[in-house]
Amino acid sequence: MSVGFWEILALLLLVGTGLAVVRLQNAVHAALALIANFLVVAGVYVALEARFVAMIQIIVYAGAIVVLFLFVIMLLSAASANVGQDLLPRLPWVAGLGAAGLAAVLVYALTRFQPPANAPALGGGLPQALGPLLYDPEKWLYALLVVGFLLLVATVAAVVLIEPERIISATSHPAHPRQDQKPTPPMTEQKDGKAVVKR
Amino acid sequence: MIWLIASALLFSIGAYGALTRRTAILMFLSIELMLNAAALSLISFSRLSGSLDAQVVVLFIIAIAAAEVAVGLGLIVAIFRRRETTNVDELRQLRG
Repeated sequence: MSVGFWEILALLLLVGTGLAVVRLQNAVHAALALIANFLVVAGVYVALEARFVAMIQIIVYAGAIVVLFLFVIMLLSAASANVGQDLLPRLPWVAGLGAAGLAAVLVYALTRFQPPANAPALGGGLPQALGPLLYDPEKWLYALLVVGFLLLVATVAAVVLIEPERIISATSHPAHPRQDQKPTPPMTEQKDGKAVVKR
Repeated sequence: MIWLIASALLFSIGAYGALTRRTAILMFLSIELMLNAAALSLISFSRLSGSLDAQVVVLFIIAIAAAEVAVGLGLIVAIFRRRETTNVDELRQLRG
């Protein structure tokens, strides 16, 4: 694994977009920087013979997860700009020192890793190579089933978290059909040009 | 090998963000950065050791990250509706 121009460029892009994620003041800009970071990481995955994972990274991570983030940021940031009192004095340089120390320890530990001398080829990390592992009952099949169930539970949980009252009132009296269902009010209403959040 | 160092740097940047951000959503973005750094180190180890199992684990990491984001953003929206803030220093009801 030689270190050439492209490796250095990708490293700089990774660190630059990462710093943009944690330093930009505008939340939307931070989320867009995170998309850029994920795309660079996907490129690195292709270089590291993990093409299928790179595709999934772009589709799921950059395509779905960050877009959900952007949706919630735009949903809430109309009124969440009120920055309140801090509990503790803000000392970002302490966090910086801690993060730098963590980076030093991690780099020291990871550079002591001795890879095997003759590593077998990965076959490009294509789905044809990953599938037999993923669906092998002696390897990952049951973990895959559990993760599928976890995704189902998470989907239901997200719905329940956002609309608890409606769901509880709809499921607690199954014998009585719902008659007094009022449509839920919208989260924000316009009041003299500013969005006001309703309780 | 350079990608192991890159993942260490990314993880540290994410930790810095999780420590310094005020709002829950931006802390969450930093946590995603840390998850991604862990996945990058796994892919790098997969390339160095010639084992495809690490790539399968990264697929699981991405799936679990999706589930986590769905639940976490649902929580953030629910807290925001109740308290009208996502500033983590103001959400002190559960302090010991």
